[in-house]
Amino acid sequence: MSLFKARDWWSTTLGENEEFDQGCLCVADVDNSGSGQDKIIVGSYMGYLRIFNPHPVKPGDEIQPGDLLLEVQLREPILQVEVGKFVSGTEGLHLAVLHCRKLCVYAVSGTLGNVDHGNQYQIKLMYEHNLQRTACNMTYGPFGGVKGRDLICIQSMDGMLMVFEQESYAFGRFLPGFLLPGPLTYSSRTDSFITVSSCQQVESYKYQVLAFATDADERQETEQQKLSSGKRLVVDWVLNIGEQALDICIVSFNQAVSSIFVLGERNFFCLKDNGQIRFMKKLDYNPCCFIPYCSVKEGTINTLIGNHGKMLNVYQDVTLKWAAQLPHIPVSVKVANLQDLKGVIVTLSDNGHLQCSYLGTDPSLFQAPRVESREINYEELDAEMKELQKIIKEATKTQDILPKSEKHRDLIVTAEVSPDLDAESQAIDSEVKAEAVPSVTVKITIQSRVTAQKPTLVVCVQAPLAVTCDQFVFDDLEPDSSETVVLSVFLKGNCSPSELEGDCMVSYDISTGIPKVAQCSFRLPLRLICSPAQPSKAANHKLTIDTNKPPVSFLTIFPDFVDPSEDDQANALGFQFLTGSKTTLLASKTSQRYRIQSDQLEDLWLITKELTLRLEEHFKKQNCKDFACTFTGSIPLQEYFELIDQHFELRLNAEKFQELLSERAVQFRAIERRLLTRFKDKTPAPLQHLDTLLEGTFREVIALADAAEENQANMFQAFTKLKSATHLVIMLISLWQKLSTDQVAILEATFLPLAEETQELGWEETVDASVSYLLRTCLSKSAKEQALSLNSQLSMPKDTSRLKKNITLFCDRLAKGGRLSLSTDSATQQAAVLPGGCATIPESDLEERVVIPGSTFPSPGQTVKQESKP
Amino acid sequence: PGRRRCRGPGGRMGLEPLFQAWSYFRRRKFRQCSDLCSQLLERPPGEQAAWSLKMRALTEMVYVDEIDMDEEGIAEMMLDENSIAQVARPGTSLKVPGTGQGGGPSPAVRPVTQSGRPITGFVRPSTQSGRPSTMEQAIRTPRTALTARPITSASGRYMRLGTASILTNPDGPFINLSRLNFAKYAQKPKLAKALFEYIFHHENDVKNALDLAALATEHAQFKDWWWKVQIGKCYYRLGLYREAEKQFKSALKQQDMVDTILYLSKVYLRLDQPVTALNLFKQGLDRFPGEVSLICGIARIYEEMNDISLAADYYKDVLKQDNTHVEAIACIGSNHFYSDQPEIALRFYRRLLQMGVYNCQLFNNLGLCCFYAQQYDMTLSSFERALFLAENEEETADVWYNLGHVAVGIGDLNLAYQCFRLTLVNNNDYAEAYNNLAVLAMRKGHIEQARALLQTASSLAPHMYEPHFNFAILSEKVGDLQRSYTAAQKSEEAFPGHVDTQQLLKQLKEHFAML
Repeated sequence: MSLFKARDWWSTTLGENEEFDQGCLCVADVDNSGSGQDKIIVGSYMGYLRIFNPHPVKPGDEIQPGDLLLEVQLREPILQVEVGKFVSGTEGLHLAVLHCRKLCVYAVSGTLGNVDHGNQYQIKLMYEHNLQRTACNMTYGPFGGVKGRDLICIQSMDGMLMVFEQESYAFGRFLPGFLLPGPLTYSSRTDSFITVSSCQQVESYKYQVLAFATDADERQETEQQKLSSGKRLVVDWVLNIGEQALDICIVSFNQAVSSIFVLGERNFFCLKDNGQIRFMKKLDYNPCCFIPYCSVKEGTINTLIGNHGKMLNVYQDVTLKWAAQLPHIPVSVKVANLQDLKGVIVTLSDNGHLQCSYLGTDPSLFQAPRVESREINYEELDAEMKELQKIIKEATKTQDILPKSEKHRDLIVTAEVSPDLDAESQAIDSEVKAEAVPSVTVKITIQSRVTAQKPTLVVCVQAPLAVTCDQFVFDDLEPDSSETVVLSVFLKGNCSPSELEGDCMVSYDISTGIPKVAQCSFRLPLRLICSPAQPSKAANHKLTIDTNKPPVSFLTIFPDFVDPSEDDQANALGFQFLTGSKTTLLASKTSQRYRIQSDQLEDLWLITKELTLRLEEHFKKQNCKDFACTFTGSIPLQEYFELIDQHFELRLNAEKFQELLSERAVQFRAIERRLLTRFKDKTPAPLQHLDTLLEGTFREVIALADAAEENQANMFQAFTKLKSATHLVIMLISLWQKLSTDQVAILEATFLPLAEETQELGWEETVDASVSYLLRTCLSKSAKEQALSLNSQLSMPKDTSRLKKNITLFCDRLAKGGRLSLSTDSATQQAAVLPGGCATIPESDLEERVVIPGSTFPSPGQTVKQESKP
Repeated sequence: PGRRRCRGPGGRMGLEPLFQAWSYFRRRKFRQCSDLCSQLLERPPGEQAAWSLKMRALTEMVYVDEIDMDEEGIAEMMLDENSIAQVARPGTSLKVPGTGQGGGPSPAVRPVTQSGRPITGFVRPSTQSGRPSTMEQAIRTPRTALTARPITSASGRYMRLGTASILTNPDGPFINLSRLNFAKYAQKPKLAKALFEYIFHHENDVKNALDLAALATEHAQFKDWWWKVQIGKCYYRLGLYREAEKQFKSALKQQDMVDTILYLSKVYLRLDQPVTALNLFKQGLDRFPGEVSLICGIARIYEEMNDISLAADYYKDVLKQDNTHVEAIACIGSNHFYSDQPEIALRFYRRLLQMGVYNCQLFNNLGLCCFYAQQYDMTLSSFERALFLAENEEETADVWYNLGHVAVGIGDLNLAYQCFRLTLVNNNDYAEAYNNLAVLAMRKGHIEQARALLQTASSLAPHMYEPHFNFAILSEKVGDLQRSYTAAQKSEEAFPGHVDTQQLLKQLKEHFAML
C-alpha cells in the first residue's frame, strides 16, 4: 500500500532460472579504482559471478554491454560474496566467495582499454580454503582488533564457527545449543560475534572467549558422542526476542550511537551494545530484508526494510518516512554510490532481477480495470428503460410472474395407483397397532420429450401416511425416453389421515440450464386405511346427505367393500379404520338420502368424501349431468368446537412445557456456572452437593423434554383430527349453501392455511385472522365494521371463545346470504399486507395525498466495511 | 564463447539439501521447504534440524497473529463471570456504550450498530460484537445473515484454522501429538519453542500446547518471558483471563515487549476494563514511543467507548507515525463524513484508492462522499464500479441502498423505489431499506403498506429509532393515537435525544390530557 513507487534508475535480469538469496549481493569498490564508485557484485546458486558498473545515460535506460564488467561461471554454487581486506600484505579490497565446501578469495583488476571498446576486467584467485563442513554464511572484520586487515568467520550448517586468518586457518568452535543456523555478524566495537539462535534469542560471543575455548576438532575427538555441546564456550550476553531473525546489522554512524539492528520475522529491534533493547517496532507485514543506511537526524538511524508485499519502507527509528513500491520481492537490499550518484538503492530478487532505484514522487499508479460498460446511447437507453418499466409495471399488476403453462409439455409425470392392495405389505416402522398394515403400490412414470438434466422426483403424502421412498434422482434423460419407479404408500402414524391424496413432483434443468418442474397428484384407495366391518346402528354423530336421484345400491358404488353374497349390505355398510374406530354408512330405501354415522366427528369426513366422489362418478358414467348433493341439517359446530378446544389445550400445554424447560435450563446453567468457579479455584472448595443438584436438574430437563415430545405427538394427532373435521365442515357448508368452486376455494384458504403449524403461529390465530378479515370485508353488514383495523401481530390467543364466536357469526352471515368474494371491486378493499411479509406493491400513479413531514431517512449507513490489513 | 545452460530448473548445482530448505524458508517458500524437509526426514537418521525446519514451515503457512484473533461467542458472553461490576459507572465499561459523553455523534447523524455503538469505519473481528445481557435475549436477538455469527461458540474460526493441519498434510498429521513425550522436549529449548508454535498455531491443540509450555517454563526456571506469554495465550484461549493476566504481567516484568502489552490489553478488554487497558497502552507508549499498534489500540478503545473525537485524535497520531495505515485513514475518513465534511472524507478515501485499496466498500464510500460533496459527475460512476466489484449479495445490497439515497436526494422517487426494492432482493433483512420503502409508500398514500413495511423494519432492527418514529407519525396521521404513543416511546428508548420524538410525545400527552 503505497502512494509512490521506487523510480527505476537502472535494472537488468540475470540469467535464466537462477536462484539468489540474501548473501548473493554485495556492493563495493571491488577493483580498487579509488574513485569511490561502487560496483555491484552478484553471485548465484548456479555458480555465476557477475560484476556490474551501471552507468545509464539517462535514468531508466536499458543495460548496456559495457555495464557488465565481468561474468564467470565458477564450479560450485555461490552462497555469499563479500569484499574486504582479505589478502595479507596489502590493504586493497579483495573479493571473498563462499561456496558450499570452499572459500575462495579473488583479486579483481581492470586493464584500461586502448580504444573505445572499454576496459577489460579479470579475476585472479589469491588463495582458497577447502572446508570440512558445509558452509552456511560468513562474516568478516578486524577480529581481535587487528589493524588494516580483515579476518573471515564462516558458520557451518551444523553450528561451527571457523575463523580464517587470511591465508591460514585459525580455529573452529561449536556454538552451544545449536540447531539451525541464524544470521551472523561481527561487531568491531565489542569485538564479538552476534547471532540469533534456535532458542529465539540474540547471543553475543566475545572473540577472545572463542579463541581460548577448547578447540572444536580436538574436543570432537575426545567427546565424539556430543557433537554440539561446547559447554565451555561462555556467552557474553543473551537477549530473548521470542522469534527467529532474518538478518542482523551493526552500524555506528557519526551522529548516532552504535547499535545492533535485528530484523525478526515479526518485529524489528534496535539493541544497545550490551544487549538491551533501545527500541522495537511491531511490523504488520512479512519483512524480507533490511539495511540501516545512515543517520539523517542526530540520534536517529534510517533503515530500509523490504517486505513480501513488494514494498520498500524507509524508517527513521520507528517512524515511517517513506514507502515505495518495488517491482519485485527483494531478497537483499544495499545502498551504493554509483556514477557520482550517492545513495542508490540496489535490490535483488530471488529470480535474479537486479534493480538500482531511487525514491521519487512517481506515483505508483494503480490502474483500476475498466468497468464493462456500453457506449451510452441516450435514446436507446431511454427506450430500454421504458420497456423495462413497462415490464415491471405489468409484473407488479398481475402478481403472477410465472408464465402460463404451455399446453405442450416437455416432461410429463404420471402416477398410477394400483387398484388392489399389495399382496405382501411393504409397510415399515408403522406405529399403527393393527395386526396388518396394508400398503398400496404407486407406479410413477416420467416421460421426457427433451433432454432433462438432473431430474429429481419427489413424492410426498401427508403424514400420518408415508411412502417407502420419497426421493429419486435419475441420470440425465435423453429426448423421448422414460423412467419408471415403483413405491408403496402405507399408514405410518397411529391416526387417520385427513387426506388421501399424494403429490409427485419432478424438477429438472432443460438444456439451456433453466430449472423447471412438472407435477401430478394421485388419489389413494380408501382400503388403505380401513376395511369392511359389521355396520352398527348406534352412533354419536350422524350426518344426512340428500341427493336428487334415487338411491344407488352399495353393491355398485362400493364393490371393494361389499361381499356380494350378503344382501343386507346393499344399504348398510360398515367401515373399520386401522386405528380402531368405526363408521357406518346407511342408504335410505325410500328417500334419496344417505346417512353417515360414527362415534367420532372426524371419522365421518373420509367416508363422506368417498361417498360423494363415488356417487358423482357413478352418475357421470350414466350420463346424468344434473346430479347434486345437498345438506340441510345444521352444521355440527359444537362438536367441531370441541375438537378445536382439544387442539388448543395441547398447544397451551406445549407452551407450559416450553416455559418450564427454559426455567430449568436457566437453573442448569446457573449451577454449571457455580460449579465452574469451584473447579477453577486453585484451592478447591467443597462442592456442597452442587453435583447432586446438577444431576437432578439434568434429569428434570430430560423428563420435561420427553413430556414435551409426547405432547407434540399428541398435538400432531389432534391437529390431524382437526383438519379432518375442518374438511368436513367446509364440505357441509358448501353443500348446504351450494357454493361455487371459487367460493369453496376461498373457504379452504380461510380454514386450512398452508403454513406449517408452529408454536408461535398456530392454526387458531391464523384462521381467526382470516375469518375476521372475511367478516370485515365481503361479509360485513355495515361500513362501521369495515373501519376496524387489522390486528397488527398474530399471537397465540388466551382462549378460543373469540374464534368460536367468529366462526358462528361467519356461518350465520353465510346463511343470511353472504357471498364470499375477494374481488377488488368492493370499495372497502384495502391493500392488506400481513405483518412481517412483504407483498408486491402495486405501482400507482404519483398522487400525493398525504405529505408526512418529519419522516426521516436513516443516514447513509454503509461505510468502509472490510479492509483487510495490508 | 556462447554460454550453455543445460541444467533444468531442478538441477541444483550441488547445494546441500538442508541449506536449500533453509534458504527456501527464509524466502517464505514454505511448500518447497516442507517438501524438501520431508525428503530429508525419509533418510535415516531423521535429523532434528530438518524436523524443526519443517515444523516451522508448516506453522508459518497457517500463521495468524494471535492478537488479531478475537471472536466472542454466546458461550463466552453468557458464561462470563469475569466482569467486575454488573452495573458499571459510565465511561468505565464497554458493555454499556456511553451516551452523550465526549461528544459522541447522535444516531440521527451516524448510524449505530445493534449494541448502540456508532458504525466504525473499519471492520475488525471484534467490532461486530454486541453483548446481549441474557442467554434468551442472545438467542432471540434478531439477527441477519450478516450478524448470525455469535450463535455458536467462539471456536468457529479456531476450528476452521484447525483444519489447516489436514490441508497442509493430506497424508495425515506430520507429528502425532499423543505420542510425544513433552517432558523430553521441554528440556530442549531449541526444539521446544518451534514445537510449541506448531502445536498452538498449526494443530490448534491448546491443551497440549499448554502442557508443553508449563513444562518448559519450569525447565527454564520461570526465567523465560516467552514461555510465560505463551502460557498466557493458552489461558486466554481457554477463557481463564485472570490466570492469563498474571502470566502476561509476570512476562512484562522480565522484558518489555510490544506483543505482551497487546496481549495483556486484550485480556483487560475481555474483562471489560477498558480504562485499565488504556493505562496499559499509555505506559507502553512511554517505553516504546510511537509504536503504531499501541496508538491504534488506544484509538480502537475510544471508538468502542463512543468517544469519537478522542479516537480520531489518536488515529491522527497513528498517521503521524505511519501514513500508510489503512485502518486509521478509513476511520478518520468516515468520521469526517459523519461530521458533515464529505469533501475531506473524500480526500481520505481517495488516498486509500491511490494506495491500491480496490474494493466495493471503498467505491461505495467514494460515491456517497461525491454525492454529498456535490460532485455529481463522479457519484454514479463510483457506484457503478462498486456494483462491479461487489463480491456478495450483501455488498450489492449496500450499494443499491445508497443509490436509493441518491435517487431520493435528486427527487427521482420511482428510481429510489426501485433501488430499495433491489436492495431487498439482494438482502432480505435490510431494515433501513424497509423503512425507506415505507416512507415512499406513505408519500403515495398506501397507509397499510407503509405500516406493514415499518413493522418489518422495526422487527428486523429494533435498535433503529427511525421505523418507530415513522410508525408513530403514521399512526398519528390516521388518528390511532394509542399506537402512535407506544411507537414514539420505543423511538425515544432507541434514541433518547431525538427532538422530534420528544415533541410528538409532548403533543400526544397534551392530546390525551384534553380527552
